[in-house]
Amino acid sequence: MVVSETKPNPVGESKPRLDAREKVTGAAIFGDDIQFGNALLHARILRSPHPHARIISIDTRQAEALPGVKAVVTGKGFPGYIGLYLLDRHIFCRDRVRYVGDPVAGVAAISEAIAEDALELIEVEYEILKPVIDPEYGVSSEATLIHPELDQYQVASFILPQPNSNISNYFKIRKGDVDSAWDNCAAIVERKYRIPHIQHVPIEPHVAVAQVDASGGITLWGSSQSPFAQRNLIAQALGISQSDMRVIAPYVGGGFGSKAGVSMESLAVAIATKVKGRPVKLLLTREEEFFTAFVRQGLIAYFKMGCDGDGNLLAMENKFYWDSGAYTEYGVNITRASGYSSSGPYEVPNVKTDSYCVYTNHPVGGPMRGVGMPEMHAGLEQCIDELAQQIGMDQVEFRRINCVKEGSILVTGGKMHPTGLLQCLEKTAEAIGWGHKAEASAANKRRGKGLALMWKAPAMPPNAGSSAWVELAEDGRVTVGVGGQDLGQGSFTVAAQMAAAALGVPYEWVRVATPLDTRYSPYEWQTVASRLTWSMGNAVVNAAKDARQQILEMTAEAWDEDLENLDILNGMVVSYKSEREIPLENIVIYGLPKADDQGWIGGPVIGRGKFMPDYVTGLDPETGQGERAVVHYTTGAQAVELEVDLDTGQIEILRGAAAFDVGKAINPELVRAQIEGGFVQGMSSALFESLNLKDGYVQNPSFVDYRIATSSDVPGGIQSIIVEVPQDDGPWGARGVGEHSMVPTIPAIANAIYDAVGVRFDGPPFTAEKVYLTMLEAGIVK
Amino acid sequence: MGFHRINLTVNGEMEQVDVTGYMTLLDMLREKLVLTGTKNGCAAGECGACTVMMNGEPVNSCLVLAVECDQALIVTVEGLARDTQLDPIQKAIMDAGGVQCGYCTPGVLIASRALLDRNPDPSESEIRAALVGNLCRCTGYIRIIEGVQEAAKM
Amino acid sequence: MVQIIGCENRLTSIVRLGISDRLEEFYNTMNAYPGLPEFDYLKPETYAEASEFLVTHAGEARPFIGGTDLFVQMRDRVLRPKYLVDVKGLEGMDEISFDNSGGLTIGAGVNMNRLIAAPEVAEHYQILAEAAQSVASYQLRTRATIVGNICNASPAGDTIGASLLLDGMLNIYGGQGMRQEALSTFFLGPGETILQTGDIVTSIWFPRPPDGVKGKYIKLGRNKLSDLSIVGVTAVGYPDADTVSGTHFKLALASVAPVPLVVEKVGEILGVTPVTEETLKDAAEAAMEACTPIDDVRGSARYRKLMVRNLSLNALKDVWHQLSLLNA
Ligand SMILES: Cc1cc2nc3c(=O)[nH]c(=O)nc-3n(C[C@H](O)[C@H](O)[C@H](O)COP(=O)(O)OP(=O)(O)OC[C@H]3O[C@@H](n4cnc5c(N)ncnc54)[C@H](O)[C@@H]3O)c2cc1C
Ligand code: FES
Ligand code: FES
Repeated sequence: MVVSETKPNPVGESKPRLDAREKVTGAAIFGDDIQFGNALLHARILRSPHPHARIISIDTRQAEALPGVKAVVTGKGFPGYIGLYLLDRHIFCRDRVRYVGDPVAGVAAISEAIAEDALELIEVEYEILKPVIDPEYGVSSEATLIHPELDQYQVASFILPQPNSNISNYFKIRKGDVDSAWDNCAAIVERKYRIPHIQHVPIEPHVAVAQVDASGGITLWGSSQSPFAQRNLIAQALGISQSDMRVIAPYVGGGFGSKAGVSMESLAVAIATKVKGRPVKLLLTREEEFFTAFVRQGLIAYFKMGCDGDGNLLAMENKFYWDSGAYTEYGVNITRASGYSSSGPYEVPNVKTDSYCVYTNHPVGGPMRGVGMPEMHAGLEQCIDELAQQIGMDQVEFRRINCVKEGSILVTGGKMHPTGLLQCLEKTAEAIGWGHKAEASAANKRRGKGLALMWKAPAMPPNAGSSAWVELAEDGRVTVGVGGQDLGQGSFTVAAQMAAAALGVPYEWVRVATPLDTRYSPYEWQTVASRLTWSMGNAVVNAAKDARQQILEMTAEAWDEDLENLDILNGMVVSYKSEREIPLENIVIYGLPKADDQGWIGGPVIGRGKFMPDYVTGLDPETGQGERAVVHYTTGAQAVELEVDLDTGQIEILRGAAAFDVGKAINPELVRAQIEGGFVQGMSSALFESLNLKDGYVQNPSFVDYRIATSSDVPGGIQSIIVEVPQDDGPWGARGVGEHSMVPTIPAIANAIYDAVGVRFDGPPFTAEKVYLTMLEAGIVK
Repeated sequence: MGFHRINLTVNGEMEQVDVTGYMTLLDMLREKLVLTGTKNGCAAGECGACTVMMNGEPVNSCLVLAVECDQALIVTVEGLARDTQLDPIQKAIMDAGGVQCGYCTPGVLIASRALLDRNPDPSESEIRAALVGNLCRCTGYIRIIEGVQEAAKM
Repeated sequence: MVQIIGCENRLTSIVRLGISDRLEEFYNTMNAYPGLPEFDYLKPETYAEASEFLVTHAGEARPFIGGTDLFVQMRDRVLRPKYLVDVKGLEGMDEISFDNSGGLTIGAGVNMNRLIAAPEVAEHYQILAEAAQSVASYQLRTRATIVGNICNASPAGDTIGASLLLDGMLNIYGGQGMRQEALSTFFLGPGETILQTGDIVTSIWFPRPPDGVKGKYIKLGRNKLSDLSIVGVTAVGYPDADTVSGTHFKLALASVAPVPLVVEKVGEILGVTPVTEETLKDAAEAAMEACTPIDDVRGSARYRKLMVRNLSLNALKDVWHQLSLLNA
């Protein structure tokens, strides 16, 4: 009988994805798939052709007169500011354009082609201003101010813009005494790296459809990682109630950060306000996607680090100049995150870091998978390798000595929580066969291995919250309401698994309420920072427990039994004492007859749950020191084996290995899928990707010349290893892994190239040309 | 500009559509026939999200004119399954974990189905070569390749 | 005359055409059209009808086959024809024929996948199939054609080198009826050919290849497959009793000159002296010297030159190796 069966627990099992069937049959609805009928208008955007200019005048009369055009919109009617941490931009430019692609005007017309033609009829007069295209120059006093009004912008308390400069945030770490530590160092490495801008390249371009109803209520359908943030930020910018702003977010065809916060969505909304009642669709072309959607910020990073003769890291001095681009939706917080994580996953007694977020006339920097960590680790983990080599120590051994362990004093002064980093290091080294050098496959090839560690904390405000609800139908089947998005990482599946486990029903009974809709879905800060499994997961568990409690309390009363003796197993309420059992069916809607049969108790069950970390403390603005800077760190390691072709400089990644401490793998296959996908994205950024900017113009804004890894470029196998050292406040101990998998890839590859041919570079991508010419200069090839 | 009347078969259904000369097959499928499973990722032949079968061979539907499809036989992702019975390639890629965001998936499925139709037992390198025109940013391809290998065994 | 650079990078092509050296005007090229701009489609029944239409609408009409170059150029605002003339349905366009005396004829409408799969091509013109195989992706090759590749006249066109080295001739229908043009004098510059308004290429013809011919195509792209070439090297060789070395070599280069480049010097060097490691190296050096690449997003001129040397050597060695197996 049921009672004696072991309790089924879908958590920890690789359950099939909830959304897979819809996605393989073409039934899954993405933003551009929603049907709006003939009322739909199409929008196109006139953008700045200059990196930096003042707008003198805009004449839209001819465009307005074009048959089929329904509205031409400029910044005139939209004085509000928008921004996540720092409100530094208007929906449409008003007096100044700050990058090539900055939106100047929008047209809504009955067809995309007419809207496109209308753009050519808009006349804009500009006064060209001197652009800033280098962040290091950008902080100097000669640089033109890109945001002269910086000191008047609204800003979050933990972001520190520097008035009368191009610095939108300045974050400092002052731990110990770096200056006097250098004298005790047996070896010091000092390096400069340049990490180029790259694009997220979701295969689905950004799309947004907006409609304004008769009473002014706005609905926005969009490909979105952040429906609630969009509701809030757009409502603020328009000066309307958040309740009048509804965001509906269907499936997202890849985001990686580019669809977080607000980017082009506010344009569609602004245009829709001028064509009341009619839905307006804005769909970015792939080219626009490359230069007008968020890009990953560029970085110029200086590292200096030293260790004693035994290999103990003694000091680090870092300077980061983040090239945030024209506005800084997330950049300011990336600057901060790279500061409070600037030691990398190492315990270092003396650290001095200066991290600057600098406005430039480049495309807008957004968050991208890893938010600053891949860029920072790219240099840091190469320096660690070099330092180990300088003192003649094996790089794995060096990392073993220095990496953070439970109780290590962190760069911000607090203590490290339990972590499986050491295990990740050892397992990865073993998997790649560290220490064994294999023969190259041909005479013109050289083979090498490289390894890198990583850590990353969710970069978010201290009080980013999640909520969830759990509802049951007559048949006992469960619907979970969440506000976090499934971008492909599998968050809906994981939410369903956790709800099933916490409630006591089979996984197959659970579905998730989609599409996300801010009118009906519970609040979620944003789908970023690898925080959903942990934060939204907690909310889901709490909601499921709440529902369970309601059901058990009702049953206890109806059966006149003690709550402790009751349980829900496999969709049955059971009593361990009386061995009575009853299916959830019907009772979760209609309740149960009272024990004396006189009336009913219970009724429709809705569980609710929330989660918000309440323990993150502030950091001292002068020293960056504080009790607890972040919620937790996910740590991990990655290693690669590769070959360098001496004839061409081409790199072939032969195989990879990676281990991450995820606390608890709620769905191990989904974790492995993240580890593989992140590896390949990291590899792609290491070998191919760079947004080539020349004087502010993107020279490769299409797939023709912005290449990403294809099926022909990926290694035959990536060994993905799951380490589980539980997180104290994670559901079943879980913490996130979505972003982490691409953090150590660039330095792992760089270290392997060094191992193979003995050359290093000042930054990715390690294109065949760069590798070959560097080998030529080094005399390795002729 | 004039309209052209075309007759074609899409997923086994006969269709008659009036299209402009410049309408692409992709737009006709998505807008006129509301078969939105086929995706637009670049409109330039580079990403493969729009891949459909035309007369038994895969094409980038963003680079085919609708008018060229008069009398053609088109199969889109919606036409792979027979009622509720998934095509082996759908099942295999799903089971292998080759689906994340799912945006590349329709194109990947058609390109893979086409590969297996012309080469029922492809080698790993043949699979990789057959899928170079299908960009996927999520999965890292490895599970997609495994899925095609599995489907070949079915 | 309108110049077009097919699959070349958009910005460099604009620069090379001298349209602009002002960066702000680069911006236009960043702004691709969301779909295809408006045009009307025609599918004539006869060559005469097609050609006449092209002449009457000179400057407004273009022929197309697969459209994989043309449509992309239209999206990129390089071209905006009012009429597209679909010529692939015309008589003979669809045919591949081979006989030992008459050689190989490939109709202009034959797509690359069909070409690659054709047994007569695989048997006698393997290098052509190898080159075609390197183009883009399978699904693109369902539409892309070798004649389109040639008419587009991009220096990067992958099948052009092989076509040149196999002494291809184009059959062209024009105002005066049918004529033949040798590929060797066909290309005038990037996107520029000797084709006149109203000319329609009906097929490409290759003579029966020399006995024992071997070939190798090496395409260096950023990705392993599917990319455009940074450098493309086509080498062929065949036993030739008239040369000192007993072998005749030919080499063609892609993406390193304004037009697809045949390096005559290679044949000379490897004809008058016995083939050794050293003379192969000399030939590769000569190839490097002959090319005149530019810097663009795909690669610098300096790297390209070095790659021409290295990959020419590899390609020639490979052909040499294949030929020695033949002798063994
Ligand atoms: C995503 C993508 C990837 C690509 N990758 C490659 C690659 O790797 N290597 C490569 O070489 N190319 C590549 N190309 C370019 C293109 O696919 C090839 O050049 C192809 O061979 C062109 O053939 P088509 O039939 O499509 O030409 P079309 O586009 O139909 O025509 C090309 C040109 O020739 C003219 N023309 C066509 N037919 C005739 C005729 N019968 N008579 C006279 N003129 C004619 C047209 O007016 C046009 O100017 C790529 C293109 C795309 C979109
Ligand atoms: S949409 Fe057709 S290939 Fe990208
Ligand atoms: S699954 Fe997202 S692009 Fe392939």
